[in-house]
Amino acid sequence: MTRDLLETGESLPPADDAATLKRDAEMADLHIREGRFQRWLALAAGLSSVLSGLEVSYEHYKGSYSRPVMYTPVILSGTLALAGVAGFFSRRSANTLLPAVSAITLADSVIGFYFHVQGIRRKPGGWRLPVVNIVMGPPIFAPLLFGTSAYLGLVASFLRRGDDGGDVVPRSASKAHWAASLSGMHETIDAGQDLREGRFQQHMVAATILASFLSGFEAAYSHYKNNFRYGVQWTPLIVSPMLMAAGVAALKSKRAAHTVLPAVSALAMLNGSIGFGYHVRGIFRRPGGSKKLLYNIIYGPPVFAPLLFAASGFLGVLASLLRREE
Amino acid sequence: MKNSPLLGKFRKPDGEPHMLGAMQRLTGSMRKYSEQDEVDYVVVGVGAGGGVLTQRLSRAGFRVVAFDAGPFWDTERDWVSDESGSHKLYWTQKRVTGGTHPLAFGSNNSGQGVGGSTVHWASFTPRLHPSDFQIHTLDGVGVDWPISYSDLKPYYELMELELPVSGPAYFPWGDPHGYAFGPHPMGGVGNALIKGCTNLGIEVSAGGPVAILEGSRADRPHCIYRGFCIQGCKVGAKASTLITHVPDAIRSGAEIRANCMVARVNLGRDGRVRGVTYFDEEGREHTQKARAVVISGYSIETPRLLLNSACPGFENGLANSSDCVGRYLMAQAGNVVLGRFGEPVRMYKAPPAHALTEAFYETDPKRDFARGFAVQTVGPLPIAFAKQMMVAKGAWGWGLRRVMMDYNHWAGFGFLGEILPHAENRVQLADETDGFGLPVAKVTFGLGDNDKKLTDFGVKKTMEIMSAAGAEEVVQEQRYAHLVGAARMGKDPRTSVVDQFGRTHDIPNLFICDGSIMPTQGSANPGLTIMALAARIADYLITQGADIFTSNERSDRISAIRRELAPPDTWGHGMPRIEAPVQPVSS
Amino acid sequence: MEAQRTDDDPRPIDPNTGKPIGPLAQPGYYQGYRTLDQRKFWDAKTREVVLERVHKVPQFRYFDDRQAALLTAICERVLPQADRDADHKIPIAPQIDKRLYEDRHDGYRYEEMPPDREAFPMALRAIDDMAQAHYGRGFLELRMSEQDELLRSLHDGKPIAGHDVWERMPPHRFWLLLVQDCAEAYYAHPWAWDEIGFGGPAYPRAYMRLERGEPEPWEKEEKRYEWAPPPGSQSGRYEPVGGQSEHHATPGQGGTH
Repeated sequence: MTRDLLETGESLPPADDAATLKRDAEMADLHIREGRFQRWLALAAGLSSVLSGLEVSYEHYKGSYSRPVMYTPVILSGTLALAGVAGFFSRRSANTLLPAVSAITLADSVIGFYFHVQGIRRKPGGWRLPVVNIVMGPPIFAPLLFGTSAYLGLVASFLRRGDDGGDVVPRSASKAHWAASLSGMHETIDAGQDLREGRFQQHMVAATILASFLSGFEAAYSHYKNNFRYGVQWTPLIVSPMLMAAGVAALKSKRAAHTVLPAVSALAMLNGSIGFGYHVRGIFRRPGGSKKLLYNIIYGPPVFAPLLFAASGFLGVLASLLRREE
Repeated sequence: MKNSPLLGKFRKPDGEPHMLGAMQRLTGSMRKYSEQDEVDYVVVGVGAGGGVLTQRLSRAGFRVVAFDAGPFWDTERDWVSDESGSHKLYWTQKRVTGGTHPLAFGSNNSGQGVGGSTVHWASFTPRLHPSDFQIHTLDGVGVDWPISYSDLKPYYELMELELPVSGPAYFPWGDPHGYAFGPHPMGGVGNALIKGCTNLGIEVSAGGPVAILEGSRADRPHCIYRGFCIQGCKVGAKASTLITHVPDAIRSGAEIRANCMVARVNLGRDGRVRGVTYFDEEGREHTQKARAVVISGYSIETPRLLLNSACPGFENGLANSSDCVGRYLMAQAGNVVLGRFGEPVRMYKAPPAHALTEAFYETDPKRDFARGFAVQTVGPLPIAFAKQMMVAKGAWGWGLRRVMMDYNHWAGFGFLGEILPHAENRVQLADETDGFGLPVAKVTFGLGDNDKKLTDFGVKKTMEIMSAAGAEEVVQEQRYAHLVGAARMGKDPRTSVVDQFGRTHDIPNLFICDGSIMPTQGSANPGLTIMALAARIADYLITQGADIFTSNERSDRISAIRRELAPPDTWGHGMPRIEAPVQPVSS
Repeated sequence: MEAQRTDDDPRPIDPNTGKPIGPLAQPGYYQGYRTLDQRKFWDAKTREVVLERVHKVPQFRYFDDRQAALLTAICERVLPQADRDADHKIPIAPQIDKRLYEDRHDGYRYEEMPPDREAFPMALRAIDDMAQAHYGRGFLELRMSEQDELLRSLHDGKPIAGHDVWERMPPHRFWLLLVQDCAEAYYAHPWAWDEIGFGGPAYPRAYMRLERGEPEPWEKEEKRYEWAPPPGSQSGRYEPVGGQSEHHATPGQGGTH
């Protein structure tokens, strides 16, 4: 049925708005199911990279850029944003530039994670005071969360574009892919093929679980630092495990992947958006308010953090739309 | 389990390395000179000025012995995270204080031990304003400096990197500039200052400038916001010359001779100094020969040493032909304004120094006094707060118990007002002596008319800010903070003790390098200025080279700033700074 | 053991019921908060210094018995502890004795003041003499309200009875020295930190909740109760040291900035 729609879609007579909308939604759904959403995922990777780049630049400003390596995520996030946009416009960029920048950014986020762990160890008391030093030290999982957009970029580079035909691309073609050919392993090629065809639901669900854990953990300790001053600060701590549970269910059951997962993911996105509103309000309610806007953005509630939480919900929604691995 | 760290309690450090904080260690041995050696420089006092100067001179290859009357701290073993247990950080030897407005010393402003007062400063490090260097020309009060702001500016910038200083990216007052290390988070007191100031439309700087790490640097961890800055920073986040400059001085070959009290500077028949006589830890007298002597004992001990070194030809004290040694002593009006809030503040958290305003720094023709003041955060711990309440509210007995039970509801602002130099505010020798038989200092201090008007106005304004922040009750305690002057620099040998390079007008190889050479004080905390002056004096001494040791000719030649003399840790950290256009450095 | 309330009951009262409060193990608004419980989070040197303060109360070595008793009685008025039970009284006079025995001082002395080691014995003698002259009894035999009245006259800078000691040292200067010494001993003690909700030593573990007076996980929220000083006491009011005279220009002692 979908194939028919796709092939005849161009020549369908103009319908009323509701029908157009319905048709567009079905098209989008189909594109995602078949992995033909490279353009949009590249753009999503680029935009989320802008957010995490802004966040890391002021977070590292708080750390005074005391090591030159602290500049790398700022530079890479900018580069990744450009690569994402380029990937939106150009197939070539999406298949070459985007995976390259994404891979470097992903490596940088792992290196950053190492440095953050070291940073906590170096604090007085080190790991013997885990609570205080995690709360007050470099945010331990922030570098891995920073890797989320790089991960999206990498996934995007494997996908097909919306205007690619519905035909299954021969396996050999996937060898052309930069990352796949690097490894030269059949499993990778198979995985790449699955990605190309949108058959990576479980993979994406796993990513959702991880992102949900990381951002939930960040929310937990930063709200703990704030002594859970507002009741609403508990919500990400509730939603995050729910999303992780939904993810686990979705790993096991196809049914859960199409019911519970999108529902809870949407909840997480809603929660993140509301949190964003609260964080913005929190910044303006700080002493000095808008007169000390920059300072209050830096030291007020982290304004983009709830959006990163919402991003884990976005991954879940995306996953629910995909097909499962063969 | 709940009340224990993860792997049991924290043990005393053992083993050899000398600990200078959580991660800093001094390993390797220090060079030792014998009494027979004639070293190039003896530096008396290793504080803000002496610490920087010793580091510079030894890095440039000079043979330096630096004396300090107090110990060489092992911060892990010697310091405590406790208010009452930190007394040994202060200069607690005898001093007599008097005059119409007597000054308090000890914990208030006087350090002892390697690092000097930088060990227990709150570490606010604003620069002086360009106007501070010429208040006589601009306002007709006090005296002009022999140098201008532009002479010192490159040294300010360098010192801000060496310490380093954390602060806002744009600091709007004086010569506007930014800081390479980011601003600190706010504690309760800083929030009160920001709230009060913004409610009144007063510009305020959040998070600095303070010489406390925001972001770790090399082997120093960043601030943990524990609020014990004045008790010595065990973390190693707060800068003191003990951890910023002395380690590099030792690595460069300087000897730090701690627990040695210099009794007098010895003058030769040729009118040049020959070295110093000092008492070691056991009270034995020694001499150390040197080709030049630098005194860095700060505003009380520097004049005391010069006065105690009186000798034929200098009956009124060494280098005192002007009768200015000990005169023009200054302290800043340092009233503490305390406000009680309905909601808890817990001002013991976060460094006491973390926000300030200099919006009232400059002379305002609308006011009936010259010059101005700054308002800063303070964070007295319980004992200091109890003493403040004893004076500010007259609290004792049940009244003291009651107000102390509200400790967590109070916030404190420090007023910092410029007091002008007066000849009669001075350091002299008292009739009594210390444990070594050396006459102790007797200090006389009083306020002039301008000082009183400025303080009245400024304290009122500070109290207004506290009320605007939401305080229900606001009280204030009269107090004085910081010391400078008492061996001032100037162009005229008849009215000053040293020239612009700290060289005494009377003796060509005797120098002074500390806050006592400042002719006026502005309303900025003096620490950074003292260090910048020390780095500039060092550049001068290095430019002059061996001429200092052999020639009686005076030259004003100084090289361009020698950034390469900064400790190696200085470089490769922090952010590019917002810079005002560089003004040419006059020579 | 609800004793008959008299003006001599030294305990503070509940202003609503008029009943005395205490003696308590821990007065103050932070019931159950104990800084000492956190001692394992302090560095070893700090722990040693603070625990010694708690467990090793110094013996009187500088003052003789009579002076020690007098000083103890005076300290009980300058920093009364009647609301504390016998096991939780914070030693003050022994700490002053220790300071003078070791000849520790603050690094300065006002020119019109004798050295601290002379000032205390002089003042103790003067206070006892003043009690004899004004009330016809020694200070130790005075009622609480009389003791307070006498000490308050020093606070005001107008000694209740003339004495040659006050010709040689200004009463308000000695008063500040005394109150300062008492405050230094009392508020250096962990039990006093519990009373006022102060966090105590903070290294290597420090704080994470810097703003809005939020308590750390190991600190307690404030739970206020009403209390008033005992009716016979005169120390509950706030009046400037030295009255409204010139003496008001007394500079503070502590370093803050």
